[in-house]
Amino acid sequence: MKKLFVAFVFMLIPTMFYAQTAFTKFEDKTDISSVIVNKKMFQLMGQMKMDPKDKDAQQYLNLVKKLDNLKVFTTSSAKYASEMKTTVDGYLKTNPLDELMRINKNGSNVKIYIKQGATPTQLKELLMFIDGNKTETVIVSLTGSFDMNDISVLTDKMNLPGGPELKKAAAKK
Amino acid sequence: MKSTIALLALATLLFTSCSSEPTLQKYFVNKAEDKNFMAIDISPSFIKTEKLQLTQEQQTALKSLKNVNVIAFKATDKNVGAYEKELGDVKKILKNNSYEELIKFNRGAMGASINTKGEGQNIDELILFANDKANGFGVVRVTGENMTPNNVMTIVGLLQKANLDMEQLKPLKAMIERK
Repeated sequence: MKKLFVAFVFMLIPTMFYAQTAFTKFEDKTDISSVIVNKKMFQLMGQMKMDPKDKDAQQYLNLVKKLDNLKVFTTSSAKYASEMKTTVDGYLKTNPLDELMRINKNGSNVKIYIKQGATPTQLKELLMFIDGNKTETVIVSLTGSFDMNDISVLTDKMNLPGGPELKKAAAKK
Repeated sequence: MKSTIALLALATLLFTSCSSEPTLQKYFVNKAEDKNFMAIDISPSFIKTEKLQLTQEQQTALKSLKNVNVIAFKATDKNVGAYEKELGDVKKILKNNSYEELIKFNRGAMGASINTKGEGQNIDELILFANDKANGFGVVRVTGENMTPNNVMTIVGLLQKANLDMEQLKPLKAMIERK
């Protein structure tokens, strides 16, 4: 019996390597636009040489080194929009985050959640959900160990959806 | 009885963890003959550097580059089924062969990703993958030894300056014209 148990454990090991995060299922869907940047990319980007005189680039480089993962999902399909909403709600239940702010603008509902690190401005995770109603629904998930103030640099450089809202959130902190 | 169970467990174990995965290299070799595909091998000599004064940095960068293999699937009205299958195969290989996904984009029927294999910032294999339902897909496999992000950037810089050996790209040109 013991042997069987051991064998069973071994059988489960390979599945552990394919650990899926909450939003993985939205990748590779025709109706969902996605951008996924992984830690390794950030690490490699951090190794690149940039003009030391370029302040913006330097600030950007500093931020990039602190990031682990960036995921952006955008859809205008009603079916996926409601699926995203359920997923975000479910994710927040298992992974409690603090609600930082909530904005209602032109019929779309923006919610920003954070997980704080050691200091109040230090963040470990940032999740933004834009419930677009009839327009685009967006999930932005950012993990790492970064500063709220860094976010504006990122939104400027990467042209993220919900950039103005994130800037407002940063100013509020 | 006990031994049967142990044997069964062992068999399951073998199947789940050690099944022989097709590698991207094998895939390239297999598909080179396929009529839906187009394969090109480019050697570093593609970048003609004789006339350039290379800096130390550029030399190391070039040395880190070993080979570039390109494979492209040309989508037509007739091979939609094959497109879906091959696309799935490539995605599976990229997922299972311990490639690290750096970045991935997806928009409608189009997608692109960059994957690497290697330790830390030393890249041994760099895979560029792009697909679009209307045109097909392409995989570029760059192999090297200890390519660093800086080396890659230096090579890209060299590409813009140096003369390229267009002879090596002829098959690709032919393919575009065939359309």
